[in-house]
Amino acid sequence: MKYALALAVALVTVWSFLVPDAVGFQRPELARVFFWHFPCPILATLLLIIGAWFSFKFQRTGDLRWDVRAVACMELGYIFCLMTMATGIIFSKVQWGAWWQNDPRQTSFLMVLLIYAAYFGLRGAMTDDVKRASNSGVYALSALLPMLFLTFVFPRLPGVESFHPNESIMQGQIKGQYAYVVVAVMVLMAWLSAWMYRIRVRAGILELKLEEMANGLENGSGDSAGSTVVRPVRVSRES
Amino acid sequence: MKAGWIAILRKEIKSELRQKSGLVTTLLFGIFAVITISFATFDLAISPQLAAGLLGVAMLFSAIVGLPRVILVEEEQGTGDLLRLLAQPEDVFWGKAIYNLLFMVATTIAISVLFFGFTHMGLRNLPLLLLCLSGACMAYAGTVTLCGALVAHASNRTALAGVLAVPLLLPLSFMAVSGLRVALDVNEAFNLTRGFISGIGLVLYGAATLSVGSYLFAAVWKR
Repeated sequence: MKYALALAVALVTVWSFLVPDAVGFQRPELARVFFWHFPCPILATLLLIIGAWFSFKFQRTGDLRWDVRAVACMELGYIFCLMTMATGIIFSKVQWGAWWQNDPRQTSFLMVLLIYAAYFGLRGAMTDDVKRASNSGVYALSALLPMLFLTFVFPRLPGVESFHPNESIMQGQIKGQYAYVVVAVMVLMAWLSAWMYRIRVRAGILELKLEEMANGLENGSGDSAGSTVVRPVRVSRES
Repeated sequence: MKAGWIAILRKEIKSELRQKSGLVTTLLFGIFAVITISFATFDLAISPQLAAGLLGVAMLFSAIVGLPRVILVEEEQGTGDLLRLLAQPEDVFWGKAIYNLLFMVATTIAISVLFFGFTHMGLRNLPLLLLCLSGACMAYAGTVTLCGALVAHASNRTALAGVLAVPLLLPLSFMAVSGLRVALDVNEAFNLTRGFISGIGLVLYGAATLSVGSYLFAAVWKR
């Protein structure tokens, strides 16, 4: 599986260099970074929305495995956000002449990065597993509205003028072999993220099982505390 | 339900009137922000865009300084668990969010009066200004109340409340600034309809934040 994936990535990378240069760019040969830039925000947005959905499922069920799935999506989504910024900054330099253009879309995506950086900051500040899952899940849900606003609404507001074209795919500006490569890279990245998601979730669920086993050992006879020691007991507030 | 949130609101108002620390801190912060703006721009004619941005920033940081305190103080004083036993989460949210809304309205009035006094900015449309300011207050109150609850059990909670709230409030600040710059534009260079669209959007965003916030708050508060 992973060899097939590696081979596919190599083939598509070579293909992306073989397609004819696109028209309408300052430096068409360097515009190929678009192949890798374009799928990143789409996958990032999708993963962040799925992560919020898993957080919602955790809030409904209280099952920590949903939190593991949510974190896996958030981490992958964040990686794609970082790749969006990195490839976008390179594109900005080679096509528009500066690393940072104060373009509304660049800035709004930077805000999305900050929003989800705070998510990981919140997780790092909580020690209790259930509280961490619960509070970060609520944050992920409340971050959904600003994220959707910044990604889809803000760049399209009247008076907001961006270097990023809104309708480049819809109006057929990306066509022929160029469009095929874009689609191939998108499929590959989705495949890669599904693969990494499965590994991350498997590792997270194993971690949970290990913790459960450790708690079981601690409460069992093998490593029990002396009779004079009173252990704290988790008390549910639910009636 | 009704009596519950009113009781929480009365408790917060009484507590604030007794201590006065939250209101004084936030008002002082707002005054310092406006005086600093006035000091930095004393020889400049401030454009409506810049003025809207500066007013938006002063409001944003005043909200972040003052509003999370209403939740955090419960954990610091050890009264959070008692409140969980005695009150429904929705009542706690609405009581504290409405208190934060009143607090934010008072702070915004003070900051705006000082801002106009110190910077000598003109005003093109008062209803639009009031619409933008009230929408911003609603959204700030809902979001920061929720952020306070999220960090109540975290380490370094006061700083973390700001870190969580700022990114969530930035889209609102964009909308507030785009509405305020039209309200302050005495030369009528900006389209008034667009300003009202931003203002109405801000009020709707604020209403959505408050109504969704109540459900999200309940999920955090009960655990």
